[in-house]
Amino acid sequence: MFTLFYGLWKYIFSKTEFHVLILGIDKAGKTTLLEKLKALYSNLEGLPPDRIVPTVGLNIGRIEASKEKLVFWDLGGQVGLRTIWEKYYEEAHAVIYVIDAACPSRFEDSKSALEKILRHQDLLGAPLLIVANKQDLAGAVSAEELARYLDLKELDERLYMFEAVSAYDGTGIKDGVDWLVEVMERSKRTDKLRARANIAGPGSA
Amino acid sequence: MGILFTRMFSSVFGNKEARILVLGLDNAGKTTILYRLQMGEVVATIPTIGFNVETVQYNNIKFQVWDLGGQTSIRPYWRCYFPNTQAIIYVVDSSDTDRLAIAKDEFHAILEEEELKGAVVLIFANKQDLPGALDDAGVTESLELHKIKNRQWAIFKTSAIKGEGLFEGLDWLSNTLKSGA
Repeated sequence: MFTLFYGLWKYIFSKTEFHVLILGIDKAGKTTLLEKLKALYSNLEGLPPDRIVPTVGLNIGRIEASKEKLVFWDLGGQVGLRTIWEKYYEEAHAVIYVIDAACPSRFEDSKSALEKILRHQDLLGAPLLIVANKQDLAGAVSAEELARYLDLKELDERLYMFEAVSAYDGTGIKDGVDWLVEVMERSKRTDKLRARANIAGPGSA
Repeated sequence: MGILFTRMFSSVFGNKEARILVLGLDNAGKTTILYRLQMGEVVATIPTIGFNVETVQYNNIKFQVWDLGGQTSIRPYWRCYFPNTQAIIYVVDSSDTDRLAIAKDEFHAILEEEELKGAVVLIFANKQDLPGALDDAGVTESLELHKIKNRQWAIFKTSAIKGEGLFEGLDWLSNTLKSGA
């Protein structure tokens, strides 16, 4: 009997963990962003940027923001490793797409990788935060300029935002996370993922 | 009291210790890797029955590395060594494509173990010097590494014979263990 009530209580009050994928081509600054997120939101120190090496696998960060639990999955961005990105799509509530705003020569590569993400069925309706990273560098273009350059057609019905960020000094990160939490709380995709988790049984939720 | 002082001493001077298990099927190259890390040279090895254990000092971390024999009959004994383990190095013979399916099953069985829930996972796609060896993306696919969603992992292409990739892996390991994830 107790178990029943406990289960019910847990069903009603337990918070969903939001899964946020951090994607982008290599050298965009995904892991630096993750480490900064950890430093800003938890009492973990986070690795200093000069200690970060290219990711070949998965880095994880857990934070609490606006009373919600967020889990970040940071995946390696090198060409050969991009094939595993899609294996994580199904369970993701939202995506942060990181672009090195100070490196125009790779915008095209960034754009085509992003278009591929947007077309993928498993990510349908997932809110998207596009990060114009490395604003601390002199040559970085603004979020508006980047948006104009990318000229994304597939974005029409998706919740999305461009944000100027420096993962190095932390500029723009809190605004981005605030937006993410707000849209994830009301997105249809969150309801869908929650419904599926409950069908699969509370144990696996 | 002595222990207390030792602890304080090592916490002040940042000399962390970590217990690492090196696991993988037989003939994956675990023992060769262990001695390459410890002595910097290639030693002639015979199949390990039981275990080898060595200490490797690297990046201010004292790695206590346990290399456990990988033959089918002795794999059940791996679990005796699971408690208090901070990291697993899983070694795969990237050229032995016939047995990658078995390597995958053993790997995911290890990840299920309660006592290893908190351990970070480093994969060595070993024997890159051999023709027909799968690269990191290929081994990632074969081992179905994407199923790991609750802990950090990384994969490195290594050749224990040539000494390539091993210390890159240890770099990752020491960074990850220090950042306390």
